[in-house]
Amino acid sequence: MRHLIAVWKKEMRIYFVSPVAYVFLAVYLFLAGVFFYLGVTLTGEASLRVLLGNLAITLVFVLPMLTMRQFAEERRQGTLEMLLTSPVPLAAVVVGKWAASLTLCLLMFLGTLLFPAVLAYYGDPDWGVVATSYLGLIGVASGFCAAGLFASSLIDDQVAAGLIGVVMLLPFWLVGRSEALLPDDMAEKLRDFGVLAHLDSFNRGVIDSIDVYYFVCFTAVFLFLTYRSVESRRWR
Amino acid sequence: MIEVRSLTKAYGPRVAVQDVSFTVNKGEVVGFLGPNGAGKTTTMRILTGFIPPTTGEVKVAGFDVLDEPTEVKRRVGYLPESPPLYPELTIGDYLGFVAELRSFYGRKRAEKVGSVMERVGLSGWESRILSSLSKGYRQRVGLAQALIHDPEVLILDEPTSGLDPGQVMGIRELIQNLGAHQTVILSTHVLSEVEAICPRALIIARGRLVASGTISELRAQAPGGLWYYAELSGVTAPRVGGLPGVAEVEPLGEPDGPWLKLRVRAAQDPRPQIAAAVSAAGGQVRALEQRLPSLEEAFVSIVGREA
Repeated sequence: MRHLIAVWKKEMRIYFVSPVAYVFLAVYLFLAGVFFYLGVTLTGEASLRVLLGNLAITLVFVLPMLTMRQFAEERRQGTLEMLLTSPVPLAAVVVGKWAASLTLCLLMFLGTLLFPAVLAYYGDPDWGVVATSYLGLIGVASGFCAAGLFASSLIDDQVAAGLIGVVMLLPFWLVGRSEALLPDDMAEKLRDFGVLAHLDSFNRGVIDSIDVYYFVCFTAVFLFLTYRSVESRRWR
Repeated sequence: MIEVRSLTKAYGPRVAVQDVSFTVNKGEVVGFLGPNGAGKTTTMRILTGFIPPTTGEVKVAGFDVLDEPTEVKRRVGYLPESPPLYPELTIGDYLGFVAELRSFYGRKRAEKVGSVMERVGLSGWESRILSSLSKGYRQRVGLAQALIHDPEVLILDEPTSGLDPGQVMGIRELIQNLGAHQTVILSTHVLSEVEAICPRALIIARGRLVASGTISELRAQAPGGLWYYAELSGVTAPRVGGLPGVAEVEPLGEPDGPWLKLRVRAAQDPRPQIAAAVSAAGGQVRALEQRLPSLEEAFVSIVGREA
């Protein structure tokens, strides 16, 4: 556990001594501001529906950029060799890295709390729905961070790792909206694999255990794949 | 301390290391020599547990690298070919992280970082950012990273490559000043380095161990091996060649006045016979000495011999 914290601390330090964290926070908050403004002025209701829906989509593109360097860079700089020759379980390295990128995500979400505050000043938002919507967002972020980390473990070039991450995540987004593209029965079957199907109830203020389970599994599967991918590349 | 038995490592169809066996005793400093691409780095990576062997048995400090990798990693300090640094971090933060990986926390962590920085000559540099360091200082930080937990076994992959002569001396001094309880394997292709700090060397070429022994043993192993240099007057080269036990006499360049310069090869030390023959002929001896091929010559002939 202390090794995990050591890795987490190191990742956080690297985020914050370089411009990476600040750029991400600034860009994400800017996008959130735009979505909020459009959402409120176009619908005229005191709700965060448009804002949060769009913030979730943005994660498909933003999170792989946040995680792309995590293994690719370690490998390129040779520091992976140091990590793997120190008496630290690989699982601690993988989970520590995932936790660091998720932490940065939580900070980005923290910034967007400004918008519910604005709504509360002018209107009367449903706080229960706001809370569960954020919970859903955190679920998405957790799963996507794990997937992005997996992409980063596949290839040494960080830009390529970022693109692979985006391409890997897109299907999970699109299957919820693919009715027009796929035959009906197939779209129906695939729908449950998509993120949208499971985000839906969170956005209506309902916490369904199946949806929580979905995001937990999403995260666990990709963390496991990352572990295997880093481990297996030593054998080749 | 290190036991390697019939180690083979294949990357797919390419065999990088083939049937290598050697042992290194506690407290020894062993040089690992070989041309580029000979399998030095692969062997070292296996010793550190970074990559697994294909076949064969590798034990470090009594632990098998496959069965108990964590025990091995606890006892090994490893400096890869390029120091594994995070360019964004400061020296202090970086070494602090390494200390935590080695399970030193709180006061112990600060203590370890402080003492290792002093040992490698980085005191007062805590807040320097790694990307701003020169090659020599990066290498020192890399060495600090390998030394921080006072490992029983130290594995250094070309610790002095790319450094200027002053820095090379600094790193060598550091290695020589390590305690007697530390076993060191260092790879290099700078042969003078091996002569300066390693009593024993292993030579590896095309994935095979081709020679091992002390430096003078290796030099004597070269084809031709030992020879004798003589500067004599009053005798001729064929006269020396006719002495009992002398196998071959070869003049070295033009005579210097009356002095004949000869390269003599013999099964046994021929110097007493030569001196006696010269004085019997009324001549004089200006020089008569045993010569070994240089380590460079030995290395080239040993590595070339296997081709």
